[in-house]
Amino acid sequence: MTERGQALLKKMTRLSAVKSEKDLPQLTQALFPGTHCPLMGAIMAAGGIKDSLVVIVGTDECAYYAKSMTVRSEKFGGIGGRCVSIVLDSHDVTFGSLEKTEKAFAEIFHEYTPACVFVVTTCVIEIIGDDFDELSERLSIKYNIPVLPVHTEHFKCEDHLPGLERTITACFALMNKLPCNHKVNILGQRLGDFNATELNTILQEAGVEIGLQLPSGCTVEDVKNAGGARANIVVNDIALPLAKLMKEKLGIPYTYFNRFANPENIYIAYQELFSYLDLKLPDTIEKLSEEANCLADSVQEQLQGKTYIYGNTPYDVFEFNLFLTTQGMVPQVIQTNRFSDNDEFNARSLQVFIDPYLCKSANIAPMRYIYQELKPYLYFGHEYPDQLRKLGIAIVHLDAASNLLGFEASSYLLKQIVAAVQQAETFRKEATL
Amino acid sequence: MSLCRFLPTPSERMSIIWSLLSIKDSLILEYGPAGTTHFSLGFYGKFTLPARERLFTTHMSEDDVVMGDVTRLEEALKELDVAYKPKVIFVVASSISVVIGTDIKGVCRYMQEEVAAKLIPVDRGGLNGDFTVGLREIYKILVRSLVNSATETKAGFNILGASAGSFRVASDIWEIENLMREVFGLEKKACLCYDTTLEEIGQLGNAKINLVLRQEAQPAAEILFKKFGTPYLITAPYGYQATIAWLEEVGKTLEQEAKITVISRLKQKNERLAQYRMYTRMFKKLKMQAALIGEYDFIKGVSIFLNSMGIDCKYKICSHTLKGIKDIAEDIIFCNEEKEKIVIFKQISDSLVIGDEVSLGICADSNTKIIASSPVLTETSIATHLPFVGEKGTDFLLEYVEKYLQKQI
Repeated sequence: MTERGQALLKKMTRLSAVKSEKDLPQLTQALFPGTHCPLMGAIMAAGGIKDSLVVIVGTDECAYYAKSMTVRSEKFGGIGGRCVSIVLDSHDVTFGSLEKTEKAFAEIFHEYTPACVFVVTTCVIEIIGDDFDELSERLSIKYNIPVLPVHTEHFKCEDHLPGLERTITACFALMNKLPCNHKVNILGQRLGDFNATELNTILQEAGVEIGLQLPSGCTVEDVKNAGGARANIVVNDIALPLAKLMKEKLGIPYTYFNRFANPENIYIAYQELFSYLDLKLPDTIEKLSEEANCLADSVQEQLQGKTYIYGNTPYDVFEFNLFLTTQGMVPQVIQTNRFSDNDEFNARSLQVFIDPYLCKSANIAPMRYIYQELKPYLYFGHEYPDQLRKLGIAIVHLDAASNLLGFEASSYLLKQIVAAVQQAETFRKEATL
Repeated sequence: MSLCRFLPTPSERMSIIWSLLSIKDSLILEYGPAGTTHFSLGFYGKFTLPARERLFTTHMSEDDVVMGDVTRLEEALKELDVAYKPKVIFVVASSISVVIGTDIKGVCRYMQEEVAAKLIPVDRGGLNGDFTVGLREIYKILVRSLVNSATETKAGFNILGASAGSFRVASDIWEIENLMREVFGLEKKACLCYDTTLEEIGQLGNAKINLVLRQEAQPAAEILFKKFGTPYLITAPYGYQATIAWLEEVGKTLEQEAKITVISRLKQKNERLAQYRMYTRMFKKLKMQAALIGEYDFIKGVSIFLNSMGIDCKYKICSHTLKGIKDIAEDIIFCNEEKEKIVIFKQISDSLVIGDEVSLGICADSNTKIIASSPVLTETSIATHLPFVGEKGTDFLLEYVEKYLQKQI
């Protein structure tokens, strides 16, 4: 027990006390490393739309880091690729940046031939109040090409996900209701390759053609044709606003098929999807479901009572933690920056079993005191493995799950945990716990 | 500048932070959105500057921005003071805090009563200019706020103006140290501002001489001269002849003769350079030309060296603003518009091109290219014995000159 550890634990909130995102406490005011910003999210999303151009309007620093992110990316075409910037200086802050932007756009259309342009504005623009929505409309008309504004001020949100969400939601402006082409759109796959997933295999075997994959890999033309789809599959919350818009305005239903941990949820998602497609549920799904449930049953004993701290994974936060709790594991702390209506059901169900601590994520510096205090077996997320090992904690590596959707995501998760638990037993002996 | 197709020039704020990260035992707190801090870790990591639990951010919410609430900053300062017990916390502004007019200095002033660490405000948000503006500012701040009174006996030398943003800076420092040790028997005491500590910076007033490698450190050198009477020399030695002249100048300042064996060795090496002029006479069609892209003092020094071998430095493009540079050489230019630079780069052919990786990438493959300045994209500078300055630096550059000639003849 350390004084600092105790003090930090007192700063945390129990799940039962959290009613909205505002109730999530920040462990310290001095953060390391802090969250990613929505500018990064916007770049990630636009990277998947092959013939689009990203124009960042911000400080040298914003432009530098964002461009650096694309330099080694084939998707962006390297250093000379389709991510450019308009850099602000003190003159622009005083007199506005719109004139400079118009001038830069003349150069853009002289040198590039994008099918669509995302104008990504950053913090300073939102403070000085330059009207980029109006300017984008004007530039769209002038150059006869879609110019879509994406606002990424970080002081109004917690992390990078709003940048992804806003970029793909902005794409709705390109869509119209079209005759049904019987395809399904995959919305929200921000990491990994959908083509490598179990869900994709199941759809292929059922003869279902994939339409738009936003933002994991598409063209502007694909976005324009998305309005003809039979259904949308939302694989991450970032695509919910777009899917809701498409449902409301274009009448396209959607299935929420996140990277679920619980085989039951995966089965339900498959059922809903195939009902929208008017197709019989393939037998394979029954078989995969049975296998996943068998695995869950078989490892339950090994997971019983194993404590952990949740940092960050490619899975849905509360669905993940609820499932592991039903497997007998014990979440001590859940770090998350989000708590929305969509989380309510899983969060309250989890609360029936256990009432873990909650705090905001991406602040690992003070967490070391918490590790010493709570002595968990496992840590889910990115941390420094050597330092955790000294404390008897094993990291569960789940980044590869970005390529998984369906029962495979559940099975992979359980196998990784079992391996990490074995590792933790050794580490705990080393740490004399 | 309107459209930026490649990488913009790093801002004043970026150079301020990379300088502060170079002080191993300092803590830095940024008052701004967390995303910038997180995003920057990769950038500083490239310079091998450790940022873990040294570079913190407060983040900022909409309320902080609209209401000007600085509670977050106050709390963060108290937390860091208790958790890390640092000697110094540098409080760095962000573009947002500057635009909304947060009084960082004022906050540090009243918070100083509540924390044990010395608070040093750096209220630059990145909108005042490029990295050279930041370097000039942070060197002055460090000297003014950290340097203690000098000891009676002075010893060794300091290097001023060494910056993590300069490609192969560790090697340049290594070479300067070697030369000073071999020629004058002196050891480096402190380096402003690379691979150093608060204690070393505190002792900056105790050296016999300040060797200023970049003009950005001249104001700091002047402060040290006025305060402690430490003489300084502003030049970085590129080429054998310049190294001889530099050593002689250092000797004159120290009132100590430069070791003759070293000077003789350098003179011998310099005499061998005459062969390069001979090539132009032998091969009438051979036109040796070069293009230099990088920091002002680097371009100036290397171009004099190359000219001495009969290589015409046709293009000398400074990678940063020329504001603040004294006695600017007429043929060294700074392009305000990126497009102007691209036009120039595309014209360069069959030349020895020394510059950053982005610019080199635009130049045609008929050129012989040397990465010698930032930004670097794929290269990682690990070696600390491959300088551009001094004797070894000249040896290294000559290898490329040879390579270029082989290609041209």
